[in-house]
Amino acid sequence: MTQQDKTVLSVHALHWQINDKPILADIHFNLQEGQVLGIIGPNGAGKSSLLRCLYRYFKPTSGHIQLFNQNMTALSSRAFAQKVAVVLQDTPQHFDMTTRQLVALGLTPHKGVFDSHTELDDAVIDQALYKVGLTEKGAQVFESLSGGEKQRALIARAIVQDPQLLILDEPTNHLDIRYQIQILELLRSLKISVIISIHDLNLASALCDSLVLLEKGHLIAQGSPNQVLTEATISSVFDVCCEVHSHPQHGKPLICYFYGYDNDLSCNHDKGNHHLNVTT
Amino acid sequence: MLLLSQSGKRFLRFCWIPLGLCLGFFTLLFAGSFGAAEIHSVDVLQSLSFHLFGIGESLGLKDRIIMELRLPRVLLAFVAGAGLSVAGSVLQTVTRNPLADPYLFGISSGASFGAVVVLTLLGQGVLSSHGVGWIGLPLGAFIGAGLSVFIVLSMCGNDVGRQVERMLLSGVAVSFMFGALSSLLLYFSSPQAAASVLFWSLGSFAKATWSGLMLPVIVVISCTGIILLFKRQIIAMKMGDETAHTLGINVSLLRLGMLSVCSVITAVLVASCGGIGFVGLMIPHIVRLLFPGQLSLMLTAMLGGIFMIWIDVLARTLLSYQELPVGIITAVIGSTFFLFVLRRRHQEA
Repeated sequence: MTQQDKTVLSVHALHWQINDKPILADIHFNLQEGQVLGIIGPNGAGKSSLLRCLYRYFKPTSGHIQLFNQNMTALSSRAFAQKVAVVLQDTPQHFDMTTRQLVALGLTPHKGVFDSHTELDDAVIDQALYKVGLTEKGAQVFESLSGGEKQRALIARAIVQDPQLLILDEPTNHLDIRYQIQILELLRSLKISVIISIHDLNLASALCDSLVLLEKGHLIAQGSPNQVLTEATISSVFDVCCEVHSHPQHGKPLICYFYGYDNDLSCNHDKGNHHLNVTT
Repeated sequence: MLLLSQSGKRFLRFCWIPLGLCLGFFTLLFAGSFGAAEIHSVDVLQSLSFHLFGIGESLGLKDRIIMELRLPRVLLAFVAGAGLSVAGSVLQTVTRNPLADPYLFGISSGASFGAVVVLTLLGQGVLSSHGVGWIGLPLGAFIGAGLSVFIVLSMCGNDVGRQVERMLLSGVAVSFMFGALSSLLLYFSSPQAAASVLFWSLGSFAKATWSGLMLPVIVVISCTGIILLFKRQIIAMKMGDETAHTLGINVSLLRLGMLSVCSVITAVLVASCGGIGFVGLMIPHIVRLLFPGQLSLMLTAMLGGIFMIWIDVLARTLLSYQELPVGIITAVIGSTFFLFVLRRRHQEA
């Protein structure tokens, strides 16, 4: 990271509460251009809520979010959608579009009321389908795609939206490991700034440049995977015992979990005696 | 599924418009030839060419029947069918509810209530020859329809998450409320008034005139134009509210706006030809079966209009001694069709 790196997004003292019940409290982090930021934390930690604040679906109770050094709330809906694309987990039922029609929706924020669909638009859509490896599936009904293909089609839609920042909520959910890796490597290959919420800590470690760890709406740790994914933080936040090694391929943290939590839940972090008293 | 190149598909899509226009023109000629008086389609063509281009000569009485009775009637049927279909299609998309139709939000019962008020309290029977009744009834119906839409809109609120639910539920409540008020008024009124209201509420194009045609034509064309401008946003709503939001759409505002535009279409049509059900529900489904994933508004309008013309032809010719209300025919065909769609969907699932 050099001094010239541009800040894409900076979050200061973000609070969000619903009916006086705080969901997010005092969140702050920065995202540098071209980086992949992973948001991790246990269920109910506020990962999705944080993302919803970032793509303006929720209005923060207090705090500032700056996008390219500009106050995010100052942007119009359309201008915001031209800069930030979002891929969500669920697609509605009775969805009768073909893959290509779905991908074409990414053009929406770039089209005025009198703009028509041009040859260039078709080329952009073709290219996006090619990038995610779905050229053959364009004419198929979206519902008929497999889980991994659906996720890639949604990413193609986001590519067509031509954003500077891409936000994804659990893009690897329900996918087998092959597709999980494929999706994340696809995101890295796009060379744009990305924020994802992600469950699998090993995946987050391998493919994110920096991590933000949340617990019960509070920011617990942030920084590189090496800084965030330590045995002590994982055991206190996720309530599991583990051993952190260095991955043989890329050298980032590789987490081995221990099993057998029927008995006492206290972890022993002394080297050489990691496991619980399960063998006894 | 047909595998066509993108330009091929676009060509095919544009083909539908001239094809539809031709079909519409011939429908006009043929539909003009049906009715009590013996008139041939050639007569309709001759009469049209005389009036539009000054070619040929006037056919006298036949000419007057064609120009003053048949043509406005056929055109009103077309406009009503087109407008209701477009409104239904848009409402089904923005509420993501396949059961949505233009009357979903209590418009028809509001309009009926307005009509009942005019007929019973103001004492202007449908069959009165004073002419005032013909202004009073549509006006009352329009005010009633506007009132119900206003109540539903004011109940919707700005909360995106619960907007559709509130819309649908308040629509049902408003329907029942106006239905009850209408029943109450009819209960204390004369049998003739009740019969008039029944006849009116089932819909008819029999009273179409050139002057009465103006408002529906202007409203349907301009509202369809507004809808066309927001077509991309409307299609994007299919993805769900949250994704539509991330595509730069003000979801609750767009939905309220489209509801208002569709309500204006529906209210004007209800006021000019009564409550014609099922067209707004059925035609969008047919178009969706033909063109999945798209929002072919022009095709929807064309199909709805032509369908309605033929329904009106049936209404005129099924019984030799009198006309059937079009609402009955659309409801019979519509409900049968709807069961068919449900069955199909059930099999797919």
